[in-house]
Amino acid sequence: MTEIVMTQTPPILHGPSEKEKKYDRQLRLWAASGQAALESANILLVNSGTGTVGIETLKNLVLPGIGRFTIVDDAVVDEPDLGVNFFLDESCLGKLRSQCCTQLLQELNPEVKGDCYPKSKAAVDLNNILTTSPTFTLIMYTMPIKPEDLATLEAYGRQHCTPLVSIHTAGFYSYFRISLPGAFPIVDTHPDAEKTVDLRLTQPWPELVQFAEEMTQDIESLDDHAHGHLPYVVILLYYLGKWRDAHNGANPTEYKAKVEFRKTVADAARTDNPEGGEENFQEAVAAVNRSVKAQSLEPTLREVFDHELSNEAELRSSFWVIANAVKKFHDKHGALPLPGSLPDMKAESKVYVKLQSIYKAKARKDVSEVLETARAMAGGEDVDPAEVEMFCKNASFVKLVNATTDGRDLSKIYDSEKANDELAEAVGMPLSLMPIYLALSATSHNAAATIDEIKAEVSRRIPGAADDMRVLQAAQEVARAAGGELHDLSAVIGGMVAQEVIKIITKQYIPIDNTCIFDGISSRCQALRL
Amino acid sequence: MLKIWSMKKEQQKADNADAAAGKKKKVTAAQLRVQKDLSELSLGSTMKTEFPDPDDILNFVLAITPDEGLYNGGRFTFTFNMSQNYPHEPPKVRCQQKIYHPNIDLEGKVCLNILREDWKPVLNLNAVIVGLQFLFLEPNASDPLNKEAAEDLRQSRDNFRRNVKTSMGGGSVKGNPYDRVLVNHHSYFHPYYDQRGGSSAGQEGKDFEEHQGRQDQGTVEGRG
Amino acid sequence: MAVDAGVGINEANRWRYLNHIRKTKGPFNEDAEISEDGPDPLQQSKILVIGAGGLGCEMLKNLAMSGFKDIHVIDMDTIDISNLNRQFLFRQHDVGKSKAEVASAFVMKRVKGVKITPHNCKIQDFDEDFYKQFQIVICGLDSIEARRWINATLVNMVDDEDPDSLKPLIDGGTEGFKGQTRVVFPTITPCIECQLDLYAPRAAVPLCTLATIPRQPEHCIEWAHIIAWDQEKPFPSLDKDDPEHITWLYEKALNRAQEFNIPGVTYSLTQGTVKNIIPAIASTNAIIAGSCCLEALKIATQAAPSLGFNDNFMSYDGTEGVYTNTFKYEKKDDCAVCGSLAKPLKVDPNWTLRELLESFATNAAAQLKKPSIRTEEKTLYMQFPPSLEETTRPNLDKKLRDGLGLVEKQEIAVTDPAFPLLSFKFILRFS
Repeated sequence: MTEIVMTQTPPILHGPSEKEKKYDRQLRLWAASGQAALESANILLVNSGTGTVGIETLKNLVLPGIGRFTIVDDAVVDEPDLGVNFFLDESCLGKLRSQCCTQLLQELNPEVKGDCYPKSKAAVDLNNILTTSPTFTLIMYTMPIKPEDLATLEAYGRQHCTPLVSIHTAGFYSYFRISLPGAFPIVDTHPDAEKTVDLRLTQPWPELVQFAEEMTQDIESLDDHAHGHLPYVVILLYYLGKWRDAHNGANPTEYKAKVEFRKTVADAARTDNPEGGEENFQEAVAAVNRSVKAQSLEPTLREVFDHELSNEAELRSSFWVIANAVKKFHDKHGALPLPGSLPDMKAESKVYVKLQSIYKAKARKDVSEVLETARAMAGGEDVDPAEVEMFCKNASFVKLVNATTDGRDLSKIYDSEKANDELAEAVGMPLSLMPIYLALSATSHNAAATIDEIKAEVSRRIPGAADDMRVLQAAQEVARAAGGELHDLSAVIGGMVAQEVIKIITKQYIPIDNTCIFDGISSRCQALRL
Repeated sequence: MLKIWSMKKEQQKADNADAAAGKKKKVTAAQLRVQKDLSELSLGSTMKTEFPDPDDILNFVLAITPDEGLYNGGRFTFTFNMSQNYPHEPPKVRCQQKIYHPNIDLEGKVCLNILREDWKPVLNLNAVIVGLQFLFLEPNASDPLNKEAAEDLRQSRDNFRRNVKTSMGGGSVKGNPYDRVLVNHHSYFHPYYDQRGGSSAGQEGKDFEEHQGRQDQGTVEGRG
Repeated sequence: MAVDAGVGINEANRWRYLNHIRKTKGPFNEDAEISEDGPDPLQQSKILVIGAGGLGCEMLKNLAMSGFKDIHVIDMDTIDISNLNRQFLFRQHDVGKSKAEVASAFVMKRVKGVKITPHNCKIQDFDEDFYKQFQIVICGLDSIEARRWINATLVNMVDDEDPDSLKPLIDGGTEGFKGQTRVVFPTITPCIECQLDLYAPRAAVPLCTLATIPRQPEHCIEWAHIIAWDQEKPFPSLDKDDPEHITWLYEKALNRAQEFNIPGVTYSLTQGTVKNIIPAIASTNAIIAGSCCLEALKIATQAAPSLGFNDNFMSYDGTEGVYTNTFKYEKKDDCAVCGSLAKPLKVDPNWTLRELLESFATNAAAQLKKPSIRTEEKTLYMQFPPSLEETTRPNLDKKLRDGLGLVEKQEIAVTDPAFPLLSFKFILRFS
């Protein structure tokens, strides 16, 4: 039995490679392109303090297979390390923490290269490490950190356009903040499949119109089988045509008209058949709401179209060339390039496949028009057709993270959070977690600060804030930890940071903009732009 | 340890349940639901259940003997199997005979929406049984499981009727032998079935092949 | 506490950060009972981890690093190569070995002083006596059925006379960049069964679409899986982990797709569709397992208020920024597991079943006219359907104990068509 199957299997049918098998569960999320981006990533962790959250983060990056990591940490392993850091054991006592963690992390995935500094028990020269290492894709650092090291990392980030991630964890509290080098566009945002359906029912093109007309010219005389297998796209195009004839050419895009139009379609279903109704007409009725609509731009895409290119890197990037070409396409046609995918719907196989090819052909045509426009633009001569295709397919959901650089006055944000809290308290919604951020960041350079020291530092940044009861409680809670990490909380944050790092490296899904505050007591987080 | 117990005591209502744990196994949620479904079943005269093991109510056989329509005179049995995930998952239902029906394939799989895509936990066994009964009264040629049968029904109801009778008698249709499901020979030769079939007699002859030796295989009468 | 683990490490030093936090009260646990010299809850708590997969590996690490000393883990699975991208206690050379055993050995070697007992079997292989020994149960499962089983077991175990019979259940789950943590105090707060509607059943395609009008690559794969396999039976039974079987389905699906001009059938899609593969990554597991263990630590030590009585559910979504929704799920009055808990019922063991049934008619709490009655393993009497009524009718004249073999503390379930929304469970007490 076995042999027969094997000999019948043509060579193209061979299964996945060992690597594809190992990474199967993640390839289903970010595909080969995302995996390739991860595998060429070179990540730096500057570790300090009780040192666990950064290592937990790296664990979650080594497993999916980043290319390379480097740990900078001058701590020597001490007994308390063994009570909080899983990537150390008693044989590590007295050795360099960076070295021991690197070794145990590397065991997780032989395909990942690891490096560490310092090489011997000596002071770390961060500047020297940065200048002698291959360029880092992304840098993470944990709090507390020496102010001069922070300045060094920030300078490197500016110079090399490197995303920086700062992480601070103490007891039940944590926050992490991502600094991206300028506006960060993402094309492959993975929106929900149903959101992406774009059937162009109110703006059909000639091939689609002709196809629908051919199927419906004798709609009343179709036999039950044919009538019950008209694809809902065709049904809607037919009744939209009749609707426009009766309404001076207007489509039923307003609420009241939609309700009426839905009824028209529902009434057109045949009920004198064994099933007592028609599934395709039910699908058509259900699709009216989301698919019969005037074309409009998502605000996130509007932001992309309106973005003013501000630096050299942006001017050179193919993303902005394509965005510009798509904008021109939109200006000219009053619609975006067609994404081209057709949702499943009741239909005969042949009819569905034909309809699918009509959508695909139109999408390909739009892609080539955009490509032509892009190639005619300065800097667009060598634009990759695959990149254009990806952009056109996802155009509606392209997203600019870190779009603006303004509005980061901490006092103003705090005032607005306090104002929100008054409303939230009245309706029983969760309150702002900003007090946690304030209390933690008051210990950025002094992990073991007392309650009074924390209060003083908060007040220095936002006068009066330390008198707030919730800020006081947060300060008490931070002081309670005395700079110590809880392993469970660091595991949670290590997972959250790794997710964000993966999104940034793969340029897929949407990374946080820009700070996440986590409260391990109430088990919830808040995203804030700080 | 958190004082959960004192919170329980606080919350406890006066008449709250006493679940003094015994060693005996507890009735599972699926069993309880099937018990309820069974006691609320409304079986007409054309349907009967059989429990191979009366203590295992998650498995039983339903026999349908339609008293009208194209399948009148036949007796069709379906196995019902409910998993411990019932009613979160639909019951698994299979026809035990190989029959000529557009919505039941030759392996006994049944195309009934509530057995698959439209199942909801609020539905019950009664809904499924009503659905099965309906399939025998109104075989549906649109999107079938048995394409030949559906094509046949679409083209000529009379011809389809004859082929159904042939198949129910244990004969072959289009070269495919079917299980004999007739309750008795009398209904097969009932004049009603042949009263309107004159026009395509030739085709009937072509479709009909008496299949020797199948008479006792898989028929319901033979079962204990 | 200051006893060392036998490797020359001072335990007080080693657990300094953890102990400092849990022995110092903060503003949110002022009412906690934390004593310097009383028994240490971490030393005393025996904790059960169900599942040694993506979540389970993380949970074992986290619990060991949270100071728990006595941990058991149940998993019947063996290690597969596709586990290695996240189940970080396993290596290439472990493929094929027991997950529970490899995971336990790894963590015990790394974290000295913790005892982890692996059970390479199904959760259903154990009875209440086994589950009784634990103080907390944490689940990292991928099956709804297993969750429902352990949930029902823990709910049914609660004995009103025994505080120790109540075991907090912490449950984690992930899918891609999303996940959830929930805490159940059985019989007090909503149980897993109360929350079943969270699991939307997998969208199914009509069988007739597969058979007659396929349009999508998945339709061709499901056709191969459900229809072609059944017709041709190329192997005695389908093993979804056997690449040869998947290849057979892939080939069938591919041929069918070519016949209908449908693009997109790949090996990976075939495998994903047939096995219902849910994407899984290390980072999401870390978040959810970390959150579950943090709740366990809070419950065990009272170092902070846990999820449970108020908010009891945290859902996480990392697809678009970072988003959590932490809320209070409500208990369902008609929950099949915790909605109608078994009540004690005094009966005379010498009664016949008929006498018992008659007593239901006059029982103020029940007032049942047409009761049907079963135990877990025996159908005692069913009023309907007729075939079952007939077979069980002889039981009516048998005595409960001697004739039917019912015993003290046996659970019986009673239904009546007059009360379509209700069912009654009783624990027999012989008078």
